[in-house]
Amino acid sequence: MNEEQVWLEQARQGDKAAFGKIIEAYQTPVYNLAYRMLNNAGEAEEAAQEAFIRAYTRLDSYDPAHKFSTWLLSITSNYCIDQIRKRRALLLSIDEPLAPHPALMSDRSKGPEAQLMMNQQQELVQSLLAELAPDYRQAVVLRYWHEMSYEEIAEVMDTSVSAIKSRLFRARRQLAEVGVAMDLSPALEEAVV
Amino acid sequence: MEHDEIYTMMMDALDGELSATDHGELESHLRACLFCAREWQALLAIDALFRQTPALSPAVDFAQRTLARLPNRRYRLWIISAVYILLLLSGALPLLLVAWAVSRFGPIMSEPAAVPDLLASIERTLQVTGTVMRALLSAIGEFLIQQPAVPGWLLVMAGIVFLWSGIYQQLVSQPRQVQ
Repeated sequence: MNEEQVWLEQARQGDKAAFGKIIEAYQTPVYNLAYRMLNNAGEAEEAAQEAFIRAYTRLDSYDPAHKFSTWLLSITSNYCIDQIRKRRALLLSIDEPLAPHPALMSDRSKGPEAQLMMNQQQELVQSLLAELAPDYRQAVVLRYWHEMSYEEIAEVMDTSVSAIKSRLFRARRQLAEVGVAMDLSPALEEAVV
Repeated sequence: MEHDEIYTMMMDALDGELSATDHGELESHLRACLFCAREWQALLAIDALFRQTPALSPAVDFAQRTLARLPNRRYRLWIISAVYILLLLSGALPLLLVAWAVSRFGPIMSEPAAVPDLLASIERTLQVTGTVMRALLSAIGEFLIQQPAVPGWLLVMAGIVFLWSGIYQQLVSQPRQVQ
């Protein structure tokens, strides 16, 4: 039994401190997924907290045969998709200009120029992701920031591997069209096939 | 070669799954087709951008604040156990009652005179209930004959309450029409 399994077993018995270790271990992937999906720091934090609370209350339904991270990210992405649907019901758009991520604004360890570059990079990423439908965005985020295989993404999104391939294909094609319109091109050394 | 086929090759190349033969085909197509070459450049740029952009972390006190919001799982487990026990008892209770009734009244019911006596007592109970009901109804009838104004006033009062509740509902629930 590894460390994570011990924490999960203790958390299942009601040990909050053990679940605190789980939160510390997974807070960045969970928050990052929520932020990339929702494009809003406040909503992303709320979604990440809700995902951990749901995971804690539903620990009995977690099957240890599967990776815990996959299960946790599945809860997070489902919650984010629900939030996006609710937003649509409120006629709000993800394209609205939103405040940049506070961690980027408050990071004093980088110089102002590096900070500005990083902010611009993050904004460009978010603007590109905002072009995609939520299920395409979800697949792209899981692929690039969580380095998941097609099989793992399919498990998180509760669908088939072929459906994921198709979504990523369409998402990348859509992104390429946006990239051409924005005149994006890589550095010459990166452009080599 | 179809553009869709080229796109599939591009996706495979991004995932590092393009064979050497297809690699050559893709390269030669990109040299000949400006449209695909531009899209490939954009795809590479976005792929590199996504791969280089770090994951975002929440605020430093995120874990503590989340921990504070967690429900008490031990208490929840205790409540769930209590509910299960109650459900189990509620299922077992009727069975226990039946067992007690059988053990208590079984010997009495097995007596030869028990059933006719029971039927006779039920009949007598029904007779008494019928007499009481008849007396009540006749008393109400006598009252209505002697005081006919009382039911009339009650009907008028009920009508007024009904009317005012209808008016109130119309005033409160109907949206105002804007001229």
